[in-house]
Amino acid sequence: MDASEREQYRAAIHGDRGAFEMVIRTHSRTLFAIAYGILQNREEAEDVVQDSLVKAWKMRWRVRDPEKFPAWLSMIARHRAHDVFRKRRPDFTHETIETTEVNTPETSAMDQQLHSALATLPELHRAALTLRYFEEMDYRTIENTLGLTNGALRGILGRALASLRKQLRPALASTD
Amino acid sequence: MATVHDEIDNWLAADLYGELSDEEQRQLHTHLVDCVACRKTHQETKTMNKILEETLARKKPDPAFEQRMLAVFRNRIPERSGLVKMLADLMRVRAVQITAVAAILLALVQMGRMITGESATPSHNRAAYAGEQLVQQASQVAASEPGRAGSLNKSDELAAGQSKDLALARPQPAPATRSELAREAKVGPSTVAPAKAAQADANEPQAFAMSPEGVAAAEQAAQGPAETPAPEVANRKLIRNAIVQLEIVSFDDAVQKITAFANEEHGYVATTNSEKQANGKLRGQVVVKVLPQNLDRFLQKIRGLGELKNQTLGTEDVTKAYFDTDARLKNARVMEQRLIDMVKTKTGKVSDLLQVEKELGRVREEIEKMQGELKYWDSQVQFATVTISLVEKDMEEPAAFLLKERSQLALYAPDVEKIYNDIKALASQKVQITNAQLNRDSSGRISATMSMLIAPEESEAVIGRTKGFGRVENFQTQTERIAQGGSGMSENAKTKHDKVELNITISREEQEQALQQTSLRIRTSSVDEKTKEVRSLAEKQGGRVRSSYSLVDLHIGGSTGPWEASLFASCL
Repeated sequence: MDASEREQYRAAIHGDRGAFEMVIRTHSRTLFAIAYGILQNREEAEDVVQDSLVKAWKMRWRVRDPEKFPAWLSMIARHRAHDVFRKRRPDFTHETIETTEVNTPETSAMDQQLHSALATLPELHRAALTLRYFEEMDYRTIENTLGLTNGALRGILGRALASLRKQLRPALASTD
Repeated sequence: MATVHDEIDNWLAADLYGELSDEEQRQLHTHLVDCVACRKTHQETKTMNKILEETLARKKPDPAFEQRMLAVFRNRIPERSGLVKMLADLMRVRAVQITAVAAILLALVQMGRMITGESATPSHNRAAYAGEQLVQQASQVAASEPGRAGSLNKSDELAAGQSKDLALARPQPAPATRSELAREAKVGPSTVAPAKAAQADANEPQAFAMSPEGVAAAEQAAQGPAETPAPEVANRKLIRNAIVQLEIVSFDDAVQKITAFANEEHGYVATTNSEKQANGKLRGQVVVKVLPQNLDRFLQKIRGLGELKNQTLGTEDVTKAYFDTDARLKNARVMEQRLIDMVKTKTGKVSDLLQVEKELGRVREEIEKMQGELKYWDSQVQFATVTISLVEKDMEEPAAFLLKERSQLALYAPDVEKIYNDIKALASQKVQITNAQLNRDSSGRISATMSMLIAPEESEAVIGRTKGFGRVENFQTQTERIAQGGSGMSENAKTKHDKVELNITISREEQEQALQQTSLRIRTSSVDEKTKEVRSLAEKQGGRVRSSYSLVDLHIGGSTGPWEASLFASCL
């Protein structure tokens, strides 16, 4: 982390609104990727990002070390998304929300299959996957963002991909 | 150690995401050449990755996402204005917090006294007791050793430190100490110490003051007691500096004005730097040197440039260190002179002489160092340093919003060319065709792509008509609200509709809808012959065979001819 970045986080923690808004600009997408990974729903994920940002502003004084600020933000988003996920109504379905997207039949079928396959993965694995595919982060950055120990991600993404691959094997064969 | 084979999933994922070292990549590929199972997994993983890429790419946030997050944030946490913000900023400073708590407690104590009618004695109130003690301590030191500024300074520091811990003692002893010391100063005007102590005391609120009012008050406090021992003021070495954070509209404008103000106050701009931020706004720092007596006026002026975010004003008293160094310098000069004299008289042994020369070099080096130090202090004292951080403000209120609508339409029709021309005929003043292309691929299939801009009031009718030309395979509309002349949300800004963009792709309908479907089962002795017959019949009638297949059951007959055939044909 370079000095100006550190300074920005420090200013944000000390209530500099400009600095905090800059953090919003630079980190919203990361938070969205985490929330989307867990929730698999864009509207909900966006709400989670908004709530997390408001909460982060209110609780910012809790962060002692400016370097930990981004990881702390991610943690808030993860917890918030987890709460939303748990509180979902049992009759909640993916399709009722995502009506805005019109797809050709084959891709939506694939979407559907991928969606259910993703749903079987642990939340953390899903968040790691979306960080990789949305933000194209490298392993190190994802580990820092999700607070994982050095090297843990290799196994996580390996297992996640393997699990998806096994579940989608019939569909994979047809697309080949 | 786990082999590549055992952890093939991790290896493949890392390979996919570019996380393998060259050596690891070599290992993986060597293994893939040898192992069929892992090769298959490799294939599947690659396909899986493609699907994930394609599917998740569509779930990414839209370009206006950050802006939306900011707008919602601003909406939910409105910026505090004026006094509230200033107070909140103030309360963040520890010293002010302590003072505030102390003031409240003191007020409570006073009220208690008024109610009970008691007179204050040290034993009744720990705070008052502690305060009294500190006063005694401080004045004792001042009285017994008026010449030693260092020890007095220390006792004052001690008082400040203790008062912070107690959080109660501070406001009471402060005025007492000050008046005590001021008196002391009149008694012994030849010493610098009392004035300095008073200064250090008065400086404390000043250094922490952040609001304009606070600064002004602190300024007065600093001048009050400091002016009493008049003779010392001129000799005091004070380094004044200020740090100001401003939010302004235009960086360049602000720098120009700051330069002008600096010139008015007989100062100059020392350094300027700026950087462009991701949102296109500039942020930077200007360091200005002004004469200390003009500092307050200068600060008043630059405050008018924009919104004051933060201000710190500090004064460092280097009097003691300065005069210490000065005295040491004089001593060193005397020493130098004596050494020079020794060299001149040239008595004693050569080795002694060399020793003297060496010593002379050391002393001279020291003199130079001290001179440099004094020069530096002089320059610092001569001018006050003002560091101004400037941040360009985001324009909060956009002037207007532009509503942009983009639609994609995929049409399927038997006659692409006809529809292409039909759509072209829609062109009018309100419908502007920006792109029209008719393509024929190698197999002779015709397709077309067209783009048009439609006036918003006509868009619905035109899109409706276009949809009627063929079978709609896919229709998507994307609407985007673009803020103009600012960012964020605004209640008052008007929303204007931009022209609607419509992109159409027309493809040939491969499978005409059958009006009537008839299935026929024919039992025959020769399936082969009958199939041929039906085929030629269909062709004669202007139809065509769309698919056909035959089944051979080897178990029953063992013959070579087909036993069963299906034919799917369409005709007019």
